[in-house]
Amino acid sequence: MIQRTLLVLLLGAAIVVFVLPGQKPSADRVTKGGAIMPVRSIVDPYPVFNGIAVDSDNNIVAMTDGNRKSLLIYDRTAGSADSEEETKPLRQMIGPETNIGFVAGIMIDPKKREVFAVNNDIEDTMLVLPCEAKGNVRPSRLLSVPHQAWGLAYSPARKEMAVSVEMHNGIVIYKLDADGVEAPLRAMQGPHTGLADPHGIAWDETHNEIAVANHGNFRGLAKNMGSGCVPSIPIADEESEAGQFQPPSITVYPATAKGDQKPSRAIQGSKTQLDWPMGLAVDPVHNEIAVVNNGDNSVLFYRRMASGDVAPVRAIRGPRTRISRPMGLAIDTKNDEVWVANFADHTALAFNRTDNGDQAPKRIIRNAPAGTPSAGFGNPMAMAYDSKREEILVPN
Amino acid sequence: MANGNVTAKRVLAGQATKLGRTVHGMAYNPVRDEIIVPNPLSDAILVFRAGASGDEAPLRIIQGPCTQLVTPHAVSFDPVNQEILVASLTGKAVYVFPATANGNVAPARLLHGPKTKLGHVVGLGVDPAHNVLAVANSKDVLIFNRTDNGDVAPRAAIAGPKTGIEDEPWELEVYKGKIFLAASNHLHQNLYSGVTQKGISNKVPEDPWLNPDLGFIGVWLITDNGDVPPLYKIGGPFSGLLHPVGLALNPKDGEIYVSDSVRNGVLEFLTPDFFEQSNTKN
Repeated sequence: MIQRTLLVLLLGAAIVVFVLPGQKPSADRVTKGGAIMPVRSIVDPYPVFNGIAVDSDNNIVAMTDGNRKSLLIYDRTAGSADSEEETKPLRQMIGPETNIGFVAGIMIDPKKREVFAVNNDIEDTMLVLPCEAKGNVRPSRLLSVPHQAWGLAYSPARKEMAVSVEMHNGIVIYKLDADGVEAPLRAMQGPHTGLADPHGIAWDETHNEIAVANHGNFRGLAKNMGSGCVPSIPIADEESEAGQFQPPSITVYPATAKGDQKPSRAIQGSKTQLDWPMGLAVDPVHNEIAVVNNGDNSVLFYRRMASGDVAPVRAIRGPRTRISRPMGLAIDTKNDEVWVANFADHTALAFNRTDNGDQAPKRIIRNAPAGTPSAGFGNPMAMAYDSKREEILVPN
Repeated sequence: MANGNVTAKRVLAGQATKLGRTVHGMAYNPVRDEIIVPNPLSDAILVFRAGASGDEAPLRIIQGPCTQLVTPHAVSFDPVNQEILVASLTGKAVYVFPATANGNVAPARLLHGPKTKLGHVVGLGVDPAHNVLAVANSKDVLIFNRTDNGDVAPRAAIAGPKTGIEDEPWELEVYKGKIFLAASNHLHQNLYSGVTQKGISNKVPEDPWLNPDLGFIGVWLITDNGDVPPLYKIGGPFSGLLHPVGLALNPKDGEIYVSDSVRNGVLEFLTPDFFEQSNTKN
């Protein structure tokens, strides 16, 4: 192999001297290769949890799975604290008819017994399936949504739902029964909103508010090209013309907010401990907001009315918690539990809502036997090869 | 390459990294032993030490109004000329920065404008020997002179039914006079501009990944022009490829690494012949 490689390099160097770009190939080129089998592959055969929603009325918990591209529904009390076996779901929805792709956010309407899920990066759709659906079934409704939608929340009273959109720093509001190509009722977007790479979203019906978890990546948005070194109109209130890294945040808006409206409150700053905040939930009963921190494997709880650079009132964090690259979060006020969907280790965890510190989960739902590795891929659209370390680099 | 269902050796993640969760390009700089990663969601290019791990901050960040970066989607590195190349989907542009660029700096060169025909730009790579730049564009591969700047027409385009390239060709690598392309062939139709509907259709598009015309890995000569079939190809049911997107080369061992979003995995192909000297007339 070494001898052949050296030969290639030498001959390759010789070619360039004589060949001019733009040359037409001979008309009889026959393509070589074809059905070559891979010699190795890295593929995780198990589901990987992303979003999570709990329905305490019907005693189910549902998760999205962006790896096998499915939705899984479990009995709410399934799993245990110490079982190492895979937990059997009640139902799994999977297959091309479902339109489930690189799926992220999820919510359940317990009265209509419908599960909603939004595809994140490719499909640009949100789908609705009956909670009783199983296998390769067509959605009851399939809605076109903006590219890079991630989070989902809804208001039964207003009959509206909200979708967060990462790259466009926006929130779009639709009718709850929207279907097909239906325009949003309203949208939030703009530099004053504080929306910056929004992910988790929660609708607090009690207080008529929407809360959003932001990673802090902010695109300039204003033009198809950057402004250059001398902005034409150097006015602070003009739309931003260059990208920024903002601190991560939780922003809260009136449920009727639209356009470039400022948030009512924003939790942001070094004391907040926010670190890639993902799934978000509002607990109006106990007046708290909770968020999962993907960056440091924790669940943070804040007072619902907290604002500014404030520390969480408690945090579930530490090796006993088994929180591992969490993505989804749900609060079950009826059963006083908080749910976390892990991305990195094939589990979802149920904690007591009031847990604090390094506490073990009370139940674990496993979509693979304990100890099953996870490649950690999330729609890998690029690769690179580190020739020095002989390592393959895969971003998500 | 690792095999089976395995965990990563190292993971670079967390707020301090300034990475976004949308990374559609990546490059390794063997000269400086660095990794170059775009963050399209903050209009930035991040440069890390290659051995970085955990919540580690980048060594350098290219960001700000002088950079003119808008949604930098993919990156490539030219080790001979020590330049970082950046592809912008939204900007329909290719930016070139010195390898050591840092902060709010203007690009050394910027390809942009109607003559360039740049549209859905993702993969890109330089052949320093021929002094040309290959760009994976909306439905084709465009070839420019490496030092082209401004609104310049491509000198060649690989496009047409014989190429097999359909919608959104993705990552691209250039090695010794050959273009290696992940021809994803997914049919992506976005009905929105930002958060506003374009009004171009009243039908929800089919899932892009369900396009029955599967993608493939294709290899062309950097000298090719027009409707040219690939010199080499990996595709079809035995390959396990559905709609390949990510692509990396290991010429030393004759290996091609491919990521496939539908499979949510990575595959390795052993094809030393693909890297060997070719008759440029074929």
